[in-house]
Amino acid sequence: MTDEPFRILVVGVGGQGVLVATKVLGDAAMSAGQTVHVGQIHGMSQRGGSVESTVVIGAAHTSFVGPAQANVVLGFEPVETRRALSRMSTNTDVAMSTSPVALPSMSVRGESYPDVSGITDEIRRVARDVIALDATALALSAGEARCQNVVMLGVLDGLALLPFDHDALAMAVDQQSPERFVETNRRALDLGRQRGKQFRQQTGEERCLQP
Amino acid sequence: MTTTPARPQRVDPLLVDDAGHAELLLGNEAIVRGALEAGVGLACGYPGTPSSEVTDSFARIAGARGIHFEYSVNEKIALEMAFAASLAGTRSIVAMKHLGLMAAGDPLTTIPYVGTIAGMVIVSAGDPSCLTSPNEQDQRHVALMLHIPMLEPSTAQEALEMTRFAFELSEKAELPVILRPMTRLCHTRAEVKYGALRDPEFKGFRRDPSRFVPIPANARRLRGRVNERIGIARDMVAASGFLQSHGSGKTMIVATGVPSPTCLDVLRSQGLEREVKLLHLGVVFPLADEWLLQQLRDVERVLVLEELLPFIEDSLRALCSRHGLDVEILGKGTGHLPDHFEYEPRVIQKGIHAALGLGDPPPDPMMAEPVPTRPPVLCPACPHRAAFFAARAVFGDDTLYFNDIGCYTLGFGAPLKAADALLCMGAGFTLAAGVSRTTGERTVGFMGDSTFFHSGMPALLNAVKSDANMVAVIMDNEVTAMTGFQESPTVEVESGHPKRRVDIEGVVRALGCEHVETVDPDNLAATTQAFRRAEARSGLVTIITKRPCPVFFRRVGDGGTPRKAGEESPGEPWSVPYTIDHSRCQHCGRDACGQRCDQPPTESFQRSMARARSLEIGTAKNNPPKVAPCATKCPLHLCVQGYAAHVASGDYAAALELIMQHLPLPDSVCRVCHEPCQIACVRSAIDEPVGINNLKRFVLDWAAEQDEFPYQPDVEEAHGRHVAVVGAGPGGLAAAHELRLRGYQVTVYDAASEPGGILLSGVPRYRLPLDVLRRDVERIRAAGVQFELGRRLGDDLDLDSLVDTHNAVCLAIGAELGRRIELPGVGPKVVDALTYLGSNRDGGRATARRVLVIGGGNAAIDSARTALRCGAEEVVIACLENRAQMPAIGAEIHEAEFEGVEIKDRLQAVRLCDEGVICAQVEPRVADDPSLQHDPKNFDVVAGTDAIIAADQVILAIGQEVNTAAIAWEEDQVIINLDTGATRRARVFAAGDVTGGAQTVTDVIAQGLRAAWGIDRELRGEAAADHRLPPPRVSAQPAAERPGVHRRHSTQRQQPAELDRTERTSSFAQVTGVLTETQARAEAERCMICGQCGNCRSCLDLFGCPAIFVDPDMRVQIDAGLCVGCGVCAQFCPNGAIHPVAPASCEVSDD
Repeated sequence: MTDEPFRILVVGVGGQGVLVATKVLGDAAMSAGQTVHVGQIHGMSQRGGSVESTVVIGAAHTSFVGPAQANVVLGFEPVETRRALSRMSTNTDVAMSTSPVALPSMSVRGESYPDVSGITDEIRRVARDVIALDATALALSAGEARCQNVVMLGVLDGLALLPFDHDALAMAVDQQSPERFVETNRRALDLGRQRGKQFRQQTGEERCLQP
Repeated sequence: MTTTPARPQRVDPLLVDDAGHAELLLGNEAIVRGALEAGVGLACGYPGTPSSEVTDSFARIAGARGIHFEYSVNEKIALEMAFAASLAGTRSIVAMKHLGLMAAGDPLTTIPYVGTIAGMVIVSAGDPSCLTSPNEQDQRHVALMLHIPMLEPSTAQEALEMTRFAFELSEKAELPVILRPMTRLCHTRAEVKYGALRDPEFKGFRRDPSRFVPIPANARRLRGRVNERIGIARDMVAASGFLQSHGSGKTMIVATGVPSPTCLDVLRSQGLEREVKLLHLGVVFPLADEWLLQQLRDVERVLVLEELLPFIEDSLRALCSRHGLDVEILGKGTGHLPDHFEYEPRVIQKGIHAALGLGDPPPDPMMAEPVPTRPPVLCPACPHRAAFFAARAVFGDDTLYFNDIGCYTLGFGAPLKAADALLCMGAGFTLAAGVSRTTGERTVGFMGDSTFFHSGMPALLNAVKSDANMVAVIMDNEVTAMTGFQESPTVEVESGHPKRRVDIEGVVRALGCEHVETVDPDNLAATTQAFRRAEARSGLVTIITKRPCPVFFRRVGDGGTPRKAGEESPGEPWSVPYTIDHSRCQHCGRDACGQRCDQPPTESFQRSMARARSLEIGTAKNNPPKVAPCATKCPLHLCVQGYAAHVASGDYAAALELIMQHLPLPDSVCRVCHEPCQIACVRSAIDEPVGINNLKRFVLDWAAEQDEFPYQPDVEEAHGRHVAVVGAGPGGLAAAHELRLRGYQVTVYDAASEPGGILLSGVPRYRLPLDVLRRDVERIRAAGVQFELGRRLGDDLDLDSLVDTHNAVCLAIGAELGRRIELPGVGPKVVDALTYLGSNRDGGRATARRVLVIGGGNAAIDSARTALRCGAEEVVIACLENRAQMPAIGAEIHEAEFEGVEIKDRLQAVRLCDEGVICAQVEPRVADDPSLQHDPKNFDVVAGTDAIIAADQVILAIGQEVNTAAIAWEEDQVIINLDTGATRRARVFAAGDVTGGAQTVTDVIAQGLRAAWGIDRELRGEAAADHRLPPPRVSAQPAAERPGVHRRHSTQRQQPAELDRTERTSSFAQVTGVLTETQARAEAERCMICGQCGNCRSCLDLFGCPAIFVDPDMRVQIDAGLCVGCGVCAQFCPNGAIHPVAPASCEVSDD
């Protein structure tokens, strides 16, 4: 790791487990002996609004992730991932879920959800590697749609994008899981990790990942 | 599967009793840990983001540490509670957000005089950039103003240590200490190294009245102590280690709070660490002047990094000035830094560059295009949404709504729009009361349960005291939901079970509010009715909408069953989500054949529909007929419920459009229509039918008064086809107008010198004034229809040549001949009604003294009333039918009798005699069939009943006949298709009486339209636009069978002003006036909106539940994943299109 801190931006919608995901990443980094700051400036997000949370690992004193500063963007929702575009650069790897969460404008003004493939294309034009997958489907196959956040953590792990090892992450997920979700979350982490590894093997050195 | 070992059971991270242990803690949690390490014995507060995790953490762990904890009802109480503990020798901590410190201001001002005993720490979290607050405020000036030491942590580790130190400082200086963390610190996790836990101590209260009772004499003495205490504090902070100096240089950066570590990151990223001297100030007040003077030595320039106001910056300037130091102080005062919002790295970088003379930093990378915003919204099934919806449905758009602080603040945005103003905790009721007091208008105030207890109670008491004219709505969801589900005084949650403590209704009554109702907002019918009762009453009414927050109670309950209102334990789960029946959604009778109404309903129309439906139907029985009965019976199927709702909301232009889209000649029709709609009106099952024609007339008269007529129909581009219309009566005019709109060149031929037909010559002026008729005709003329007047078919006009010179001909010649019977004998003059009405239409001509009218239809009534106006003294109507079965319009018969016409029923004229007419009584042959009772053939004369009715003139009003000679057809042979008006002759169509005898004006207009469509279809084939008058497919449901009809209140029908009897008989002035605006709106409100609506989007436009959306095919859908099955939307859907996924499991309750 270079002297520059490693900055992860996690974005999603209230209720998707964004804050839990960054807590897990923070715990894992700490248990791996890294300096870490986790920003959870969530505001009124728990009523279904946009949520973003940051994890800054390494030589930093704060949790800011400024414009074009993200090393990794972990997106739990397409529009929310697109919202983070200004934080991406050619040094950013993006792992994003393609399953949309309805926007309030759809319920009030009857607007339609933006085209998801258009969103991923737009992100691909800015970021380095973009991995887009239906994380909700994977989470459901793990047994619970709500563990999409753990699936996505697994994807990052499988892609070897995290500056700590798998055991640190798995332990942190376990620690954060309520008793009845421990097994489900382990499955979810594993499914995500396999998918991430698959992506990595498919693309090898080309660093051009397609779903 | 992973190989992760089974996880060990953990103690709560905050309770790890291991000095040197490290945890990844939020700043807020670090503060809690610091307090635990200081042996805190009492913790309290009122939740407010970003401080909430302080109290929430204590709520979780206080019991395990033997600490007294409470969520106090407001910040003032909380602060007093903490001070009481301090007096009683117990270290205390109290947490709130920056706004809370102001709410707690009163006790705070005096505490420094009295002084603390055990350490007392006040956490007041700041919120630069207003991330979760209505303002950002700089609490540091409070510290200066009240002589209270204030510390500002910059990292989580510092927060822990600073909290621990704050207790020492408070205890030694005998002053409370304010800790001021900012949002970013509160909500950033970082590694925190623990010290040792310390058990709380409870030393007890030791009396010292001369100190603890600050009466003025004591206060003056204590004032000196305050300065001594600040002196002690100043010495302690100087030695505290929270003032730090790093590096050296001519340029010094002074940073406080979060900008301090941010500055380190910026310097490092820019490689500027060695260029500057860095001063970190963890203490805001009192400033350590001596230490600062030392640091300022050899420095030329100082950049001050502090968020919000220039507190440190100005203090440094004052210090330098006092001591004659020549140091340049850069910051807000010099324009290098902003005095608002959070200092993000970019802001700080810009300041540093300026201080070091490095020029502007490079601009930010290009910002991306914005994406749709995702503001927070009320959750699916939120009871607040239902309460707002019901209140808005009843109080409409003209009422002012005042809101307060809580989840329900989200009622501000579309579609609920339930916040015209908002200020602070508890202000909602006072804003409502104050605005009502100064405007005289009824207002509505909303407030949640927690806010009501916080500061709404005195507000409501004040509203009682000032006799406010307002509706206070307390939205009781039994929890402080917005800040993370802290308990509210209403309910205490113990081991997963909510337990009710305080009864809000009892409190409201005790405050003196007499009119209080508690309703379950998810029972929309009950809630809407409660709001209606509140609306009907002036003065202060309180409505408590009570239903537990389903999100919270699913969490604390058994994980899946929200509690029903009033239940102490989880009740029946909401079983299934709801779904949309697309055969009902956005369908009405008008578009049952696939056609669309041209007018999207306005919000207020939809609100009226939803209100009507939620009042009437309640639950699963919501199954409205597709077409309202009035529209079914109307020959033109006008959308009465639509224009009534527009009138009710004051949108007369929209009402006009809805009327005129389907009705040519509206000015005439609203005066002469036989009103079949009113006979069908559902309201007649409750009181009296809605005065539909009066509403139409109000709208038309309103339109006539506008500078420019507010409705202009669309005219299709001309395509060169030419149609002749023969007859300028209602049928001909309707056909001509419709054809013109469809791009035809249209010429109307008529024998008279002015268009109007029967409306001109047969309807008396006191019903339809000439200028009103001319308004209708002029609009048709203005649309481009041409008239050839004074041309009579059969005289100077013949059908063959018309057919030759036009693409089509429409015959609308009417029944212009009055039917006659030859009465034997010699006696008074006999005239037929049409002739009589035609020659007396303008009145003024004196005729006979005694007039006998024979007949029971409208022409008989018109003739009789005209005779009165022409000076007749005695007017008698003799008719075959009995009084109740006369075919004339009921209201007209009533008017005639009122004016003095005598009706003698069951009579037949036998012969004329010198004195008048000899009449005999008759009996119907088939007594029970009224349809046969208009024809003399079906009656037997009762022998020996001959009697003379004296008369100088006899008017025969026994029907009209078509002048078939002109067209060389038998009357009953003309038409072959009533839907198209097609006749036996190619390209000749017919409309009106010529198709089969005399009919009502409105029926004739409908036929005129059908003939126009028939012609268009014949001439243009598929290119012809669909006609807009399909036969309704669904018959009307009898009024009395409508579910929930009995729930509607009886209301008075609005009557327009009418001329008195003398005024009537002395002139031909219009008898019936028009409703006033107030009357019209009240009358329109009486419409119950019985039918479906083809363009309704109420669920989207008014309700805004996140589970309801529009799919790419533009169909409304419910997201089964988001819908939790509260079923509120199903209760108001005007089309009855929403039902549970499994209808069988749906509980049906109609009351």
